[in-house]
Amino acid sequence: MDPIRIDPRRAIDEATKFNEKLAAGLKTLRTLDDVDFGVTDREEIYREDKLVLYRFKGADKPTSKVPLLIVYALVNRPYMVDLQDDRSLVKHLLALGEDVYIIDWGYPDQSDRYLTLDDYINGYIKRCVDVVAKRHKVEKINLLGICQGGSFSLCFASIYPQKVEHLIAMVTPVDFHTKDNMLSHWTRGIDVDLFIDTLGNVPADLMNWCYLTLKPVRLFQQKYVGLVDILDDKTELENFLRMEKWIFDSPDQAGEAFRQFIKDFYQGNKLIEGGLKIGDKEVDLKKITMPVLNIFAEQDHLVPPSASRPLKKAIGTDDYTELAFKGGHIGIYVSGRAQREVPSAIHDWLGKR
Amino acid sequence: MNGTKSPQDWMNDWQALQQQYWTAWSDATRGVVQPPTMNTPWQDGLEQWSKLFGNSGKQTETADRLISSAKNYVALMQSLLGAAAGKMPQGFAVPNWTDALRTGFNMPGMDATFRNNPFGKIFGDMRGPGLQGFGQLPPNFAPFLDQMKKEGLSWLHAPAFGFARERQEHYQKMAASFVEFQDALGRYNGLMLKSSQRSFEIFEGKLGEHDEPGRQIDSMRALYDVWVDAAEEAYAEIALSDEFRKVYGDVVNSQMRVRQAIQQEVERMSTDFGMPTRSELNSVHKRLHDLRREIRNGRSAESSKEIDELREEVRELKRAMAMREKAPAPPPPKPAATIPTPAPAKRARPPRTAAAARVVNPVEHIKATRSQKKRPSRKPVPKRATAERSHKRSASVHEHAPLSFADAINAMRLAAARKSGKRTSAAARMSIAVKSSKAVTRKRRRGARSR
Repeated sequence: MDPIRIDPRRAIDEATKFNEKLAAGLKTLRTLDDVDFGVTDREEIYREDKLVLYRFKGADKPTSKVPLLIVYALVNRPYMVDLQDDRSLVKHLLALGEDVYIIDWGYPDQSDRYLTLDDYINGYIKRCVDVVAKRHKVEKINLLGICQGGSFSLCFASIYPQKVEHLIAMVTPVDFHTKDNMLSHWTRGIDVDLFIDTLGNVPADLMNWCYLTLKPVRLFQQKYVGLVDILDDKTELENFLRMEKWIFDSPDQAGEAFRQFIKDFYQGNKLIEGGLKIGDKEVDLKKITMPVLNIFAEQDHLVPPSASRPLKKAIGTDDYTELAFKGGHIGIYVSGRAQREVPSAIHDWLGKR
Repeated sequence: MNGTKSPQDWMNDWQALQQQYWTAWSDATRGVVQPPTMNTPWQDGLEQWSKLFGNSGKQTETADRLISSAKNYVALMQSLLGAAAGKMPQGFAVPNWTDALRTGFNMPGMDATFRNNPFGKIFGDMRGPGLQGFGQLPPNFAPFLDQMKKEGLSWLHAPAFGFARERQEHYQKMAASFVEFQDALGRYNGLMLKSSQRSFEIFEGKLGEHDEPGRQIDSMRALYDVWVDAAEEAYAEIALSDEFRKVYGDVVNSQMRVRQAIQQEVERMSTDFGMPTRSELNSVHKRLHDLRREIRNGRSAESSKEIDELREEVRELKRAMAMREKAPAPPPPKPAATIPTPAPAKRARPPRTAAAARVVNPVEHIKATRSQKKRPSRKPVPKRATAERSHKRSASVHEHAPLSFADAINAMRLAAARKSGKRTSAAARMSIAVKSSKAVTRKRRRGARSR
């Protein structure tokens, strides 16, 4: 039997409707203002260089005694965790009584090209942790590291275990050399010294292109063909634009930090294989003895589950919990399922300890 | 899909359908886009649309990406339907959908290198604001590349000599890097073509999964989605291969070499024009960063020790000050004999702790503490009256004002200055202490004496 059974008149009808929607939708699209993001009220707590540490303000006072600091990746903007009213990990965590802080790394420029991972982890993160701990008069706080920020949080928790009460790693790469890790596969042929010596900072446009080429047809064509379906729905269209803005709103990467991240993490795989040093401090994942919750996405094309799962055997705690989320790298923050499952999972896990 | 119509009937139907498409498109655009001839590619409507509204209104980037993708999609639809209608006398039952699909990606007017290579085309489309691929060199590199082509390529392997030797060598190096980059890019595009071919193979395989009743594909979108799955699968196969890793690395590395050569040329020109260069700025940024690090985290071992000592002293001073504040105020002066004397108040006890003792005069305490420390003895220098006056004035200020952190630091510096007998201005006391070489110190003293 022929696998294709397309009625020609229906097909023409389909094409006609596609064009109608496109023509009408493009007009709507042109009239939409810039979308806003970051819905939850927040206050600035600490500022250093381009970094700002914020504390989110919930409707009610937090019930949790230990504050939670979100350490986001350098490669995208952190407002993904608080994108819009009905897609906000932060909002849900606040509603559950958590006291949530976040580090906004800002946009590095050429004057930041010599920032190293030492500056980021032993400098910025450490000082932010100290500020939060001091405010709450506690010695340890909870850390929630996301993606690259998760890898940084692992390094931090290994170097300063006395400062971390609970560690949550979300879509965090740990083993960078698994077979399905396309990004890692590509970076291993790159002369990163030549790359950074030439570019200085890594331009955001180049990073965006690199991410899109992981799934070029889906991310650069099919997604926009699908957009035609929602062009007549203003709310859906705004949701799409908000995501689109986040995807292309990427900061440049500070050259030296990028050089070390690619060399030691992607090429050397030292986070799990050992030998990683941040500044003069050695990173040994076995020194992570606090309770750890590892959340990863089953359909993640940027950080495949195979890259996150090895955390279990690498750390020095028996109190390890894993949560496999049914979704992708972005869906884990913004999908409806994520809103239902992820914040409550974090809150419950923390509550039991 | 099979019918009993004649081929001519099908052709007529197809033309009617095409007409219907264009009329609908014209209606949708409210006449802005005029219906063209029957066989005009469908994506041309979008082309006209984007030309008319390309740079107007908001959300331009998203609109551009949307139009670019939509053009590919409608071209694919037209190709599939056209192939079905035009070629097969049986009607729309096309035996080889893969060929029709393949044709759909070969849009009229597109770069010939992308023929039968949808991946090549997609990657070609992936440019614009917010995106910059490894295959692209920035457009503003063009003048340098043109110059290189003139001077470098023609003399690529010829020995350089004479006064322009260095210049020629530089252009030769740039040209060699560019040739290397073009070669790597060619191999990269070759792999994209391989991905495209493989995607059609996988597509055929996937069609086979739909030949059972109830699983047949009945819309253009569903057919397109099957191709997308096939394409991503094919791409992943190639992109995860060792060959791809090598080629990808070669593209990136060779492009960086070209960029570096152009940057050197720009630096040379900037120097000629007396403009700051990237290297100079980098040097400044590096120094600034190192300084920032030293202040924030590291501190040199020497300054670190000094700061720790100072901190300890300040801590002691603060503790002492706190104790002094807690201690009761001294009793008022004895009143005249005619006034009856009230019952004697409980006398303030003399401070018991060493810290409390220090309260009386923090400066003296510092002096005492320092004198206890084993330090090489210095020749006593006669105190100068002016310096003494200055110290007294400063000290009197501090006696009445609450002792702040800055006061404490100042007091310590004052004490140190008094001890050494050196004349210090207020401004000098405020500045950060630096170590001077003996030679410089001797010179200064000689100068002071002669004055």
